[in-house]
Amino acid sequence: MAAVLEPYIYEGGIHKHTLITELLEDMGGYLIQKIPAATEVTLIMLIPKKDVPLIQELGTKLLGKLTSAPLTGTEIAVVSPTLAAHHLPHSACDVAEHLRRDGANTNMIGLARGMGRRVALSADYERRLINEHDIALFSFGTFADCIKNKKPKLFEGIDIPIIATGGPDLRTEDVPNADVYVGNIGRVAHRLRKSEELSSLDIMNQKVAEVVGLMREDMSKDPLSVLPPRVMKEIYEQIPQIEQVLTPAPVTLQLDGLRVKLPYAEFHKKVEDLEFDEGTRLIELARVLPSKMKNYILIKIKRESEVGFAI
Amino acid sequence: MEALETFVVESAVPDEAEAYRSIVADVISELMLGGAIGRIRIVLRPEDSLFQMAILLRGSQPPVRLVDVASLGYGVMERKEVKISIREEKYLPKLLEKLWARYGRGQVLQPERNTLIVRQDQDPEKEIISLESMLIADPKESLQSRLIEMAIRSTPEGFRVRYHAMKENSFIFVASEDTLKPEWIQQAHQMLAELQEVQ
Repeated sequence: MAAVLEPYIYEGGIHKHTLITELLEDMGGYLIQKIPAATEVTLIMLIPKKDVPLIQELGTKLLGKLTSAPLTGTEIAVVSPTLAAHHLPHSACDVAEHLRRDGANTNMIGLARGMGRRVALSADYERRLINEHDIALFSFGTFADCIKNKKPKLFEGIDIPIIATGGPDLRTEDVPNADVYVGNIGRVAHRLRKSEELSSLDIMNQKVAEVVGLMREDMSKDPLSVLPPRVMKEIYEQIPQIEQVLTPAPVTLQLDGLRVKLPYAEFHKKVEDLEFDEGTRLIELARVLPSKMKNYILIKIKRESEVGFAI
Repeated sequence: MEALETFVVESAVPDEAEAYRSIVADVISELMLGGAIGRIRIVLRPEDSLFQMAILLRGSQPPVRLVDVASLGYGVMERKEVKISIREEKYLPKLLEKLWARYGRGQVLQPERNTLIVRQDQDPEKEIISLESMLIADPKESLQSRLIEMAIRSTPEGFRVRYHAMKENSFIFVASEDTLKPEWIQQAHQMLAELQEVQ
């Protein structure tokens, strides 16, 4: 079984940052995402638990900052009832940004007809798209009555854990079918930057991290037959075309799979035929499916109990 | 009447009314309506899917004519040119549009930032008189469109059945998800009447 990996974010200067990525590679860790911005760089990585102090030490030497990022390796759908100015960009985008700070990959999804009370509804396509993620976060508005009685209609058909955010301070039990409810993040028409607004975003991140923790624990009872970051590494090594993909996260990790941002028709054979050192091919360990998002590839890794072994 | 001297948002739950007040305040400042609105009252009943709003406007600004923002004179006399020197640059784009429509693009020159030369073949003196009274901008018109924008932005999005009444200095807006009941509209008119009564 592979070493226990801990998720961290490194923020520092771009100068000599390759020392960190090299060290990480030597230790058997994984670089999930690298975001260069002018002279700064953000590295999202999985580090073997016992080697974290080494990276910490090197990071300090390079005047960077290493922080724990509990949401790394998750893909979260931030769902807004519609794309109108009423729900976006404020609050929903701030929510997504705050989740990204803890390492999550987020996708904003605006429903076509999610507005209103009696008339709110979601389409089959939208539900399937949301279900491709690890967690769905619904960003709701100001009124307790809507959140309690009307909006949970949008949760129907969602099989993944549901987190709802809204203005009023409700208990999770009051919101039917939501796994967690986070208050004080309702509809606003300005950026969330006051201290109380930011602290409710911090609470949200904590609660999302708790849900992710529970999901990881649940998975550890019947582990995946191969770790998603390992598949990601193999994709980068065996499918060179992935280097030409311009999206910020060409391969997006999920708790139990990956999204590969290459066209399905052209590349799914190559992905299925990915070979590991042990001699197994990916198709034996995972389902390679067409994604509902554009024409991407979705990989869902099978559990150990299904495959019979893990690598 | 002071700007925003009454600004009330009412709902069954006080916290929600307060949160909604902040949304409306943001929308008002975003659309730069702060100075134009005197009194505003909003009543929200989410359980009935109802949004009612009454606004009393402060006196609106008069329309802007060319003579208010520029001085007119003669250019080269033998070519019958009219020279316009602009004092307030913010009206320049609108003015240019109007001049282009009247004389054609090639006939309007801008030798430097605040000066326009109009080439034309009428008697320059008469032309100057008619140009002076040319309507450049009507703040009332843009105020109306901003008010409507504000009403739509501040209503909950699903409330697409709407009623509005716009008069000289008042604006009533009622929105719901369902068919509007006549008494809701009447209540909104009543709200406006109450706003007008306040001294």
